[in-house]
Amino acid sequence: MARGHPVPPMIERFIHHVRVEPPPADETAAGARARLADKFPRTALRRMTHLGLLLGSVLDGAPLGPEDALVYASTYAETRALEDFLLSFPAASPLLFQTSIHPGGVQQVLIGRQQPIARLWPHAGRTRLVEQALLTALLEPAPRVALVGGEERGTWMIESGIASDQAFSFATVLTRDAAGAAGRVGFNSGNSVDEPCPALDAFASALRERRALAWLGAGGSWTLEWR
Amino acid sequence: MSAPADQLPAGIEACDCLTPFGDAAATASALLAGRRALTLTPVLGRDGGDLVPLALTGPMDETLPPRWLPGLRQLAAKIPPAAWGSARTPVIVTSSNFGVGSLYAFTRDHDARHLAHGTPFASVGLLRAEFGWGEHVHVFSHACVTAHLGLAHAARLLHAGLADRVLVFSFDFVSPFVAGGFHSLKILNGNLPAPYARRETGSIGLGDGAAFAVMTRSAGRQNAPFQLAAHALHNEMFHFTGNQPDGAGFAACAAAIAAAAGGRRVWVKGHGTGTLEAGRLEAEVLARQFPDTPLVSWKGSLGHTLGSCGLVELALTLAALRGADGKIPGTVGGAAPSFTDTVALEPFAHAGFDGAIMAGNAFGGAHAAMLLTHE
Repeated sequence: MARGHPVPPMIERFIHHVRVEPPPADETAAGARARLADKFPRTALRRMTHLGLLLGSVLDGAPLGPEDALVYASTYAETRALEDFLLSFPAASPLLFQTSIHPGGVQQVLIGRQQPIARLWPHAGRTRLVEQALLTALLEPAPRVALVGGEERGTWMIESGIASDQAFSFATVLTRDAAGAAGRVGFNSGNSVDEPCPALDAFASALRERRALAWLGAGGSWTLEWR
Repeated sequence: MSAPADQLPAGIEACDCLTPFGDAAATASALLAGRRALTLTPVLGRDGGDLVPLALTGPMDETLPPRWLPGLRQLAAKIPPAAWGSARTPVIVTSSNFGVGSLYAFTRDHDARHLAHGTPFASVGLLRAEFGWGEHVHVFSHACVTAHLGLAHAARLLHAGLADRVLVFSFDFVSPFVAGGFHSLKILNGNLPAPYARRETGSIGLGDGAAFAVMTRSAGRQNAPFQLAAHALHNEMFHFTGNQPDGAGFAACAAAIAAAAGGRRVWVKGHGTGTLEAGRLEAEVLARQFPDTPLVSWKGSLGHTLGSCGLVELALTLAALRGADGKIPGTVGGAAPSFTDTVALEPFAHAGFDGAIMAGNAFGGAHAAMLLTHE
């Protein structure tokens, strides 16, 4: 049972699963469906969005159980379903409605797998999104925490600057076990300065390249490091 | 199988809400009087469509600036002053829809000014500018359990020593986008909702709602006599819009919060939207877990305020507990026979109770429950 505890000088978790999807720049949902078909049940595949497919790909093989938690970060989330649902009026589409609702992207994957989890924390911010999602993950008492994020490329909403112009996804699994870890994420509290926080796509790139990151924010200092 | 609840007590220093009836005190009084805010309204606003039950603070059609801003200004004026949005006093904004009504408006009139508040980050940006919040604004969106998540995360930030006070701010205003969506699922129809009633056809209503709570570690202080003592969460991942038929998802969450409640004498504020299957499963599971315990829902009056409902209904509970009537509103719009005999259709005295369970659920089989206690 999770109870209150004294302030830790440092919170850290170890990275045990790292997958990043940088799909071809012109990939469509149909293209991703063909490329990733073997990762999904056929019945689920035909209804999945591009973001859902990319998230499913990076979560493939991630060890998650019903006592675990998932932190999901996406600024624009289910852009294509949102765009298409808006255009479906006045005959609103029930399928597009339910798919357009955050956190539909990751729910497509977990429902397809029939994978219950204890807690799902869907972030939808922008300015300090990565930092906030990491903080949520570090405060989770679950034995395994999947930190997942991504975007899909919009169409007409890009022109207005309210959709992502690129598609990508990432997934890591964080635990308290240092043995065999690929890396570590840590937060030291005790700083009042804010530096710019890495954007979601920059964080995904750092994971893909196994590149270290460090910045100040949320009242402390952050480090992402690799072994 | 259920994960244990977080038991990280946090005091509620201030809390209020906005509904079509007004603030929390006015709304609690209206509920005690059995009044409904829901009225039959064209599902697409000025674009017409079937009449469906909506509880609105004004016309549903989106405006410039967005129609929700004046109400949120009114609500935000009640928030105790602090450097909100700093690292030590962060804000957590929770919503399911944010400003999505503005995107719908753009697709109708092509006025690009609507796009300035159509997305979560844009609408939160507008709130930051309006209320002078700093950068440390966490944004959660998990459909109808979103406010529960915000409150649970606030407790974690406080207990980790990473925040001194946390402002949880929640809003969801109905738009043709969401009304049209629920109407397409056929659950928003021409019938008024009757939560937990055993009847032929299920139906929900939708309502405008906003609320805030200032959470503090100083539970039990004179200025924070109420506290959220525990939070339980569970995600079935069985179906997008359905639940496990045996009620296992409801049971997992209920068992966790019941363990945290221990021997307290509690009553239960359920989710109770007016759907048949989820309503039956919820009422039956709660009756098994909390036998002889009154169960109420207020969505038959206020409609479902979506991502804000957990915090709106918390504010109403506090207002009822503070009210001179000494009573908790019953299930407005409910009707006999109910799914279980625990459903309270009429107001009841809160004397003798020392806590309340506040439950919610959402798409994807998401479940949330929190334990409210008071000194």
